[in-house]
Amino acid sequence: MVNITSQYLLNLLLNGLLIGLIYGLMALGLTLIFSVLGIVSFAHGEFYMIGGYVVYYLLQAFADLEPMLAILAAGAVTFIIGVIFEILFLQPMGKGDIERPGEYAILLTFGLAFFLQHIMIGIVGPFPTKVSRFYDFIEMDAGWLRMNKATVWFFDMPFSSSRLIATGIAVFLTALMIWFMSKTWTGRGLQAVSQDRQAASVVGINPLRMNTLAFGLGTMLAGMSGAALVTVFAWVPWIGMAASGKAFVIIVLGGMGSMPGALLGGVVLGIVESLGAGLYPDPSKALAYKDAFGLLVFALVLLIKPTGFFGRKL
Amino acid sequence: MKRIPLQGKYIQGILLFLLLVFAFAFPRIMADKPYWLYVALQSFFWAMMAASWALLAGYAGQFSFAHVAFMGIAAYTSGIAGERLGWSPVSGIILGTVMAGFVGFLVGYLCLRLRSTYLALFTIAFSEIVRLIINAEHQLTGGPMGLYMEPLLETTSYVPTYYIMLAALIVTLLSMYAIANSRFGLFFRAIREDEEAAAAMGVHVVRYKIAAFVITAMIAGTAGALDHHIIGFIAPNELMIPRMSLIIAMAVIGGTESLISASIGAILIHFLMEWLQAIPVSEAMMAKLQANAATVQQFGLTLGDGVIQTNAWRMAFFGLMLMLTLRFWRNGLIQPLLEKIGRQGIAEETVAKRKLPQEENENTEVQP
Amino acid sequence: MKLEIKNVSKSFGGMQALNGVSITIDKPEIVGLIGPNGAGKTTLTNVIDGVHNPTRGEVWLNDERIDTFPPYQIARRGLGRTFQVTRAFRRMTVLENMMVPAMAINPTVSKKEVLEKSWDILRFLTVEHLANEYGRGLSGGQQKLLELARLLMLDPDFVILDEPFAGVHPKLQETIYGYIYKVRQEGKAIILISHDMDSIFTLSERLIVLNFGEIIADGHPDQVKEDPAVIEAYLGADEEE
Repeated sequence: MVNITSQYLLNLLLNGLLIGLIYGLMALGLTLIFSVLGIVSFAHGEFYMIGGYVVYYLLQAFADLEPMLAILAAGAVTFIIGVIFEILFLQPMGKGDIERPGEYAILLTFGLAFFLQHIMIGIVGPFPTKVSRFYDFIEMDAGWLRMNKATVWFFDMPFSSSRLIATGIAVFLTALMIWFMSKTWTGRGLQAVSQDRQAASVVGINPLRMNTLAFGLGTMLAGMSGAALVTVFAWVPWIGMAASGKAFVIIVLGGMGSMPGALLGGVVLGIVESLGAGLYPDPSKALAYKDAFGLLVFALVLLIKPTGFFGRKL
Repeated sequence: MKRIPLQGKYIQGILLFLLLVFAFAFPRIMADKPYWLYVALQSFFWAMMAASWALLAGYAGQFSFAHVAFMGIAAYTSGIAGERLGWSPVSGIILGTVMAGFVGFLVGYLCLRLRSTYLALFTIAFSEIVRLIINAEHQLTGGPMGLYMEPLLETTSYVPTYYIMLAALIVTLLSMYAIANSRFGLFFRAIREDEEAAAAMGVHVVRYKIAAFVITAMIAGTAGALDHHIIGFIAPNELMIPRMSLIIAMAVIGGTESLISASIGAILIHFLMEWLQAIPVSEAMMAKLQANAATVQQFGLTLGDGVIQTNAWRMAFFGLMLMLTLRFWRNGLIQPLLEKIGRQGIAEETVAKRKLPQEENENTEVQP
Repeated sequence: MKLEIKNVSKSFGGMQALNGVSITIDKPEIVGLIGPNGAGKTTLTNVIDGVHNPTRGEVWLNDERIDTFPPYQIARRGLGRTFQVTRAFRRMTVLENMMVPAMAINPTVSKKEVLEKSWDILRFLTVEHLANEYGRGLSGGQQKLLELARLLMLDPDFVILDEPFAGVHPKLQETIYGYIYKVRQEGKAIILISHDMDSIFTLSERLIVLNFGEIIADGHPDQVKEDPAVIEAYLGADEEE
């Protein structure tokens, strides 16, 4: 039984926050797809998974490659795959050529998830891979702040450097997205379509093109979250499933179609998971149940208030 | 589903009859290849899963991803009853079915207000929670290592179990057909089409939605418990979402709005999966592949004795098939085929034949 | 037969859709219900039909309180309605569409009875040739007729038609007029919601005007159209002749 000090709690909370911000980035992508295309992509986690593998393979092939470039490459790859998929399978939906589009989108993205997952199992094999941390931190000791290559102690609370780097990347990308959506023409076009497709098209924005862009951006954000986290977790081809699960929990918690909701939901989930795993009385089962907490919260929210914190109705 | 003229119905009937005869004769045909007999009886399991899911999703419009969870709950209930309480497999199967029905009721009730995407999300979450609990409570369920299930019959031959599964499939399909053609089926479809309009037309939406869940959960449960007593083992990884995806692929590729198409789709896909697992190649081809063994390995394929083992690729293939079928052949691949066969008859019965005699003084115009 | 709406109010969050609406219909009549967009006509229909519960007030049907009942129970008690946007069952045939209400309200009815009744109604609406067509294969106008036909299978005392003439060509309109008269002849009451003033004034025996969720007139159409409150709120400055 762990000694529950306030410091331990604070550590759990902060760790949860760190991870939560990365979850938030991934959920941001999903919420963007929902707000523009009106669908929940059940394959979102798979793009997260692919992003991680792109980094893994690039760093394996080119040992000296600057990790940030690898992450960019992951973003590019997932963007391209997303765009291709959208054009081939989702465009007809946008044009109104598909009967019962809601059902179609669910089954289709499910199929995509299944497809991507097993392609990766085929390529990688069912073995976990690990990417070592991107950067070594410098050794230093300033009392309240201590560092070595792999860990940072903040008032004696340990944080893995990989997580810190990953969170830093996530925060940067999130800020970039926010800037993009509010300050650029394209970003504002996306917002317009998400609010009112018809009105947007009347003022000359092409909703179909926005669909493609939104989907590609969404998958890109997922891919880059994966790229950031590949140093933190052991990577397997089915890691996408858990990621999807978390993304769903977040967007339902935060409200579908709401970007601030996605970020807030991500942080909440990260903290809930961290506290849950850290405080569950039976440590042998704590890990097994860790994912269950989020799911339980998720199920409850769906039943009680499906629109979450800020969302609009499906 | 289009209307089938009477002639066409005869042809369909004959076709199904022939299929049945073939199914009964199959063990004789495959007497020296028990492996394929095992594959066949397993395919009947998948057929029951796919068809019952088609009833829930295709007929009643409830796209639930909890189907494998119902199956797993029944199988585990039966297994636990057997291992911890000494129950016989048959009693276990009955208990498992009841349990699945109960859980189906619960899920159906919870899902009443949830529309498509929320329903999907909730049932996925439910399915995962069930799997995680089974995984975690290892003292009860054996955890990730799985649970031993007492074999249904003490026999070394697959023939009797083959016939049991075939019988189960036939009984299941007949029952589901009876339901689909009854008022249940009518109301299921009305609810699928437009829940609010159905309610305005007097349909007890709550009752029939829950009924759809309970009935299909029980069928999935029976299929699961039965099948796993034949396999002799169950593990939590069978409740993973990819298993659900496979069932969905089978139903969609077969045809979600036709129980028999879904069944045939499942059987065909399962056989294909087994056959694709190891694709025989010619000696020349094999030599070429072995020369490039390293590259072959990198692609996740392995070279066996005169065969290429496709491993995960066959699953990826069916994932792709699922997507393509949805995109281009929304009604599935098998269902339109069956319909086409059905239409080989003469031109459709005219409406005139069905009309009742007109009354002479019937006034059909009313003057304002 | 008696439908009593007693002082019904309905608000959604901060928005008051209906405010103290009271209507009694206790004989066969065609009641026109008009009002500007957003006046609350469809909300009122939804409250009567059980889609919403009133925030205040009661709804009584044949001396039974129904405002807490779900729609299917109200349908079984003899009140049917159509929707503004036609909602036929698309992947079911016309006949199957007809069978749904008949079998829903009567657990023991035989298929033969139901089919006979369906044919009668389809013939009356001159669409019997569509009996085996699927809902999605029908034109917009045909779907509207299907909705009307389907409604009759409930054997209702009260029928609420929500915008039955929207986007309908003249020939079809005639058929619908015929339908309304026939239904009235058979001793039912019809609440007719429409923006089509010609039809309203041709058909209605009684006219109720709703504005901002309140009834501002309820009486004979000729009187109502002279009512200054109505003219100001709805018909505009021009007087109808």
